[in-house]
Amino acid sequence: MIWDALIACYLFLAGMGAGAFALGAIAGWGKDPALTMKKVGFIVGPVAVAVGTLLLVVDAHAGLQNPLRFFYLITNLNSVMAWGVIILSVFLVVAVIDLALLLVKKETPKWLDGIGVALALCVAAYTGVLLGDAGAAFPLWNMAVLPVLFVVSAASTGIAVVALATHLLAPAEVGRVALLKRAGLVLPLVEGALVIVLLAVTAGAPGSAAAAGQASVAALVSGPYAVAFWLGFVVVGLALPFALELVRARKGAAAPERSVGADVAHDGSGKTLALVGDAGVLVGGFMLRYLVVMAALPVAFM
Amino acid sequence: MSDKRLGMLIDLSVCIGCNACTVACRQENETPLTKFNTWVESWDAGIDGRVTRANLPKLCNHCANPACVKVCPTGASYQAEDGTVQVDPERCIGCKYCMAACPYQVRYQLESGEVDKCTFCHHRTTEGLLPACVSTCVTTSRMFGDLNDPDSDISKKLAAAGDKAKGLMEDRGMEPRVYYIGLDETLGAEQLSAVHKGGNVLRRREEGNA
Repeated sequence: MIWDALIACYLFLAGMGAGAFALGAIAGWGKDPALTMKKVGFIVGPVAVAVGTLLLVVDAHAGLQNPLRFFYLITNLNSVMAWGVIILSVFLVVAVIDLALLLVKKETPKWLDGIGVALALCVAAYTGVLLGDAGAAFPLWNMAVLPVLFVVSAASTGIAVVALATHLLAPAEVGRVALLKRAGLVLPLVEGALVIVLLAVTAGAPGSAAAAGQASVAALVSGPYAVAFWLGFVVVGLALPFALELVRARKGAAAPERSVGADVAHDGSGKTLALVGDAGVLVGGFMLRYLVVMAALPVAFM
Repeated sequence: MSDKRLGMLIDLSVCIGCNACTVACRQENETPLTKFNTWVESWDAGIDGRVTRANLPKLCNHCANPACVKVCPTGASYQAEDGTVQVDPERCIGCKYCMAACPYQVRYQLESGEVDKCTFCHHRTTEGLLPACVSTCVTTSRMFGDLNDPDSDISKKLAAAGDKAKGLMEDRGMEPRVYYIGLDETLGAEQLSAVHKGGNVLRRREEGNA
């Protein structure tokens, strides 16, 4: 195995951080801004992406021992990774400036938020493109599917981590962002569909990629990674959060006279359901990155 | 690109799987324990009801369109003037992107963190010598030379072989510059045994049975 759990952690943290920042920005834009949520997103975003980037540095042993070599990182702009370094760096700068403005002046310029959200999207997509550009060697790393799948998962995990913290810090705010309720139901479905597409495309890889593609899919659905895939990703990461979100949506609908946010916030079991669901999404988000990195087999695996 | 393009042609019909190339390469390049710049994969193959031994030497294909060079963020992996793919260890940070991108999986990481692989014995060819694996090959299965020079031995043999000379997994789009004669016959035959990866029988004493 060329890359391992450390890189999976990076892919997860970068996606989650990007999603958290984007949600934080969006939560602050409405007529009734959710300021705690915005603050949480603006803190989790750059911190998660920075920690993830640090993991990359730690994994690059030769660079770690000769740090000056990191200055070569943007010399080959044909390399997706060089662009990734630029994207991560610029995102971190913008996100940290935005956070500083939020903490000092209590508000942030919308145009800067907008740039940050655009960069967050690039960060999330880049984690997929990074693997996708090695797709000629690893059929599971499909350039057409992975970037979209990782963006969707970044949105899910970013929302989950911010919602988790907001449920604990300022429960009343959660219901204020209408986007969240729909996202909790739509994103798991989209993510599940994209994973099915990824597995189908990989299993049907043509020519010299056929054997490795089929073996990679088999490793996931019935091989050494089957338990992690079905239990960790499908059940805990997709089905459980989706089911809990359905239950909460029903409860909200049953008490329409109260605002949904207040309803869920003051309902102890509703809050527990939400926390469990959010934690499930985070577990699933990590499992997705871990499985995509670990279960992939190279075309030359004989 | 420059007008020189070094390549290799391996005639599988005369390779006997002796692994002299594997050993010569280790001696020449002092590759680390368990790492190989070239090796021979051997297995029992069935052709027309007979059992024969299939031998398939492997090494870096020094591709004309190498994914490893494209993905390398620092420019440590590069194409040299002679068309070969080389690694400048002074620029390598050990991100392993090249190892991931190579369909042939011929790259490995050194203890020090840098990535290494077959250089086509760059230190020898620049002095007018053949790569160690070629010069040691007991059946002259391996041929080496300038693919862009129509008068070189390798170009003549490639021209004579026509469609029969092929690279590994050409559909990966890397334009490999290691050609094989008899590749379709070798890979097309029924595989009757596990693949023995020449040289990889080496074990540490604590791992194997005493």
